[in-house]
Amino acid sequence: MTKNTLRTAEKVPSPTPSQPLTAEARPVQQQQRRNPPIAGELAAIASAQQGDGAAFEILYNMHKRRVYSLCLRMLGNVAEAEDLTQEAFLQLHRKISTFRGDSAFSTWLHRMAVNVVLMHLRKKGLPLVSLEETLEPSQEDGPRKDFGTRDLTLSGSIDRVTLERAVEELPPGYRMVFVLHDVEGYEHNEIAGMLQCSIGNSKSQLHKARMRLRNLLRQNADGKVDA
Amino acid sequence: MTSKQTHTSRDCDEFQRQLPELFDSEQELVAHAHLQSCQNCSALVRDLEYIAAQAKLLLPIHDPSPAVWDNIQHALIRETKDGTKTS
Repeated sequence: MTKNTLRTAEKVPSPTPSQPLTAEARPVQQQQRRNPPIAGELAAIASAQQGDGAAFEILYNMHKRRVYSLCLRMLGNVAEAEDLTQEAFLQLHRKISTFRGDSAFSTWLHRMAVNVVLMHLRKKGLPLVSLEETLEPSQEDGPRKDFGTRDLTLSGSIDRVTLERAVEELPPGYRMVFVLHDVEGYEHNEIAGMLQCSIGNSKSQLHKARMRLRNLLRQNADGKVDA
Repeated sequence: MTSKQTHTSRDCDEFQRQLPELFDSEQELVAHAHLQSCQNCSALVRDLEYIAAQAKLLLPIHDPSPAVWDNIQHALIRETKDGTKTS
């Protein structure tokens, strides 16, 4: 593969050969916002594809934070997140020669990391989609009519740390869809493919995740007021 | 209940049942008649949109421990050796 091929391809993200459900449905602008080009990345990819270990280490340092954060948010467990970050980069090392530059490298790598996490969860026999809605119907997940006369909106009241903590408290299935859709920017059709569920199920899980987060954040805001 | 609100709880239930689909179409959501009359459901939609917007701003802030790279290096060395043996 030539550097020129990569440079041209990065402008127009499109499906990658190793991913059946790809990023093609995602708007180009969205992908570029989420995965902006990194200086020196193209040269490092080309060298790593030739077996240059130092170049691979450069790629690791460029992407380790994003891959690890993705794993940590999906799993909610530091040890597992580190193990799967390691596994994702080992897979990258094995497959980097197949990267054709059809999508941004980071998009390709992050999708690989998502697949590593999902495969891990399947091996553990954990359901990827939350069963809570059928097992434990709760009022906070369903329609709420009574908000009383208190301050009605969260707007402007939550900071990043508070939101991160609230996301950690979500049930795994809800958290998975929320992280994939709202944080990572995947579309429902992509998530449905990844989690092997229907698009409607993905939408429903996302909605329930946001409702649960709203409840958690309101409790947090109430706590601050009461304190 | 404000003078603006002329809806019933059944209206709210019905609207909130449709929300997961409505969020996929911003135009449909904004134009929904129920939102024009229900302060509570308007607040709910604002909150959920706000949460989604804030989530997009969550940046990767955690770094893996240095042990992760050490393990990767060791694994790569092992793989290389295994590859050499089998070839």
